[in-house]
Amino acid sequence: MSLSSTSILERLGEHGRKTITQIIFVVYGVIVVFPMVWLLYTAFKPTSELFASAWSLPVEWKLDNFVEAWSEARIGDFFWNSLFVTISTLLVQLFVGSMASYSLAKYRFRAQGILYYGFLAGMMFPLFLGIVPLFFLVKSLGLLDSHLGLIVVYAAFGIPFTVFVLTAFFRTIPTEIMEAGVMDGCGHFSLYWRIMLPLAKPGLTTVGIFTFISIWNEYILALVLLSSSHLRTMPLGIAVLQFVQFYEVDFGALFAGLVIVMLPTLLCYVILQEQITKGMTVGAVKG
Amino acid sequence: MAEVILKNVRKVFDRDVVAVDDANIEIKDQEFVVLVGPSGCGKSTTLRMVAGLEEVTSGEIYIEGKLVNDIPPKDRDIAMVFQNYALYPHMTVYQNMAFGLKLRKYPKEEIDDRVREAADILGIQELLERKPKALSGGQRQRVAVGRAIVRKPKVFLFDEPLSNLDAKLRVQMRTEISKLHTRLEATMIYVTHDQTEAMTMGDRIVVMKDGRIQQNDTPLHLYNHPANQFVAGFIGSPSMNFIEGRLAVDGDGLRFDEGKISLPLPQQMKGPLAGHADQEITLGIRPEDIHDPDTMGRGVDTITIEAQVEVVEPMGNEVFLYLTTGKSTFVARVDPIHVPEVGQPVNLAVEIGKAHFFDKDTQESLLGSQ
Repeated sequence: MSLSSTSILERLGEHGRKTITQIIFVVYGVIVVFPMVWLLYTAFKPTSELFASAWSLPVEWKLDNFVEAWSEARIGDFFWNSLFVTISTLLVQLFVGSMASYSLAKYRFRAQGILYYGFLAGMMFPLFLGIVPLFFLVKSLGLLDSHLGLIVVYAAFGIPFTVFVLTAFFRTIPTEIMEAGVMDGCGHFSLYWRIMLPLAKPGLTTVGIFTFISIWNEYILALVLLSSSHLRTMPLGIAVLQFVQFYEVDFGALFAGLVIVMLPTLLCYVILQEQITKGMTVGAVKG
Repeated sequence: MAEVILKNVRKVFDRDVVAVDDANIEIKDQEFVVLVGPSGCGKSTTLRMVAGLEEVTSGEIYIEGKLVNDIPPKDRDIAMVFQNYALYPHMTVYQNMAFGLKLRKYPKEEIDDRVREAADILGIQELLERKPKALSGGQRQRVAVGRAIVRKPKVFLFDEPLSNLDAKLRVQMRTEISKLHTRLEATMIYVTHDQTEAMTMGDRIVVMKDGRIQQNDTPLHLYNHPANQFVAGFIGSPSMNFIEGRLAVDGDGLRFDEGKISLPLPQQMKGPLAGHADQEITLGIRPEDIHDPDTMGRGVDTITIEAQVEVVEPMGNEVFLYLTTGKSTFVARVDPIHVPEVGQPVNLAVEIGKAHFFDKDTQESLLGSQ
């Protein structure tokens, strides 16, 4: 089998092999991108038109669905709730996580290894196992049904990943730069804040993007920890919208809501693409 | 008076790895002292202890008469230049140089004046707005030096600052650092593994090996009167030749006997060597003290030996001959007037009065280092 397939590949030659690879990538690209593109242009169609012709472009590009989703279905409120929770989590997680990573990477102290592997173990802990105890813990802290409670839990779940990525990142920064900072007059905090943190920007961006995506789309914890409708985040809001839509059959507004959810993540990724790649490949090659 | 004094300084890593053992050094105000030795000899650790980047296991370090063992680096009023420059990649050259002053809350105008003055001295005025990644190795090293001099510290520390530069640039920067020392009139401690840098730059050289100071002296005295075989071999390029043999009594004089080579020793050596008669010793002779008899000046007291040429290295202004005789191999540095062929037997004049003798066991100099 392998012999015959090898000979087929050989017969194709360099040009043929390239063409086949390109075809595979194009097909894969279409499979990934098309649903998003379809979702995007369908959000501009009235629901009646969607049912009449599901795949065609809108006859008239209208923002009615977006207006309806934003104001009437309260997607706007959910959007601001999500933005507040996501950015707050991001700040707490990056600040605490980067400080922990910096000290784990650049200082030597007792139980350093235990602490580091403790963080890593946190990454492997399945969320579903923790939901019930977490609910009671947050309740006993008096943080149930509040954004603060959600932010604390999100940050606690996100810090292990931050530590995992940033520790590796800080290890690649030469210790001499730190020592130069010490000679220049930096204390522990200014060394971290003025020198190490700016140097870890690609790592921070990578972690930031991944955190943003996961928090922005997070559903289970928000469902368990939030009950008031005015505190709901976007995924909860969309779920409610979807539930309501089952009866009203207004898929146009639902698609518009989904586009609003999707857009910030996509934009972030497109703008910071280079930084993310840099952050993910750090340590892979000598810098 | 920025004197630096190390008293019985010892550094032990991981409880049992002795990096520096009983180091005693007195560095005078405005002196340029070079710590030199092979990798792992403890020279960088010593410098880092002075900087405060390593804790002292035992002993005392004084800067300007003040015990600094427990004083953090930022309060020691010292600046350090690192081997890999250690510039902050996210800052411009200007910001790199101004950073230390900014942390010490100097007024903006003074920071600007000092940075521009340092940039003038080092010829990097046009680079001030560039980031380190846009600079060449030599330019980065200048910026690293600039970052140190803007602070006008009491003591400058250099940790192998030229090791990452190419040979030509290294020679150029060597001269510039020496000029800078004269201009700034500051105390400087310089670490290198390159004996040429040590010889050309230092007012005084401290040779280290295995964490211990082997000799602490001026370059020429160190060269002419090495305290032991290690110092003799480390200082000088090509290295001193060592030939093992026996010190034999010859009438009322002494003779060094290798087997094939037998060299009568001058009368003035009899005093210090007499106690080692009939013992195995090591003779050390520098390549430049072995001459081509035809081109040698008159009036030099020499002994002629015969050797076989193995390798010829013409350097332009001189020729290095790698020779064998009996069981010994050695190098001679001769004038390029008569360059012998490989394999050819040659006669060479050994300036025996300049020979050194070392105890075979302790490797200490038998002639003393005074």
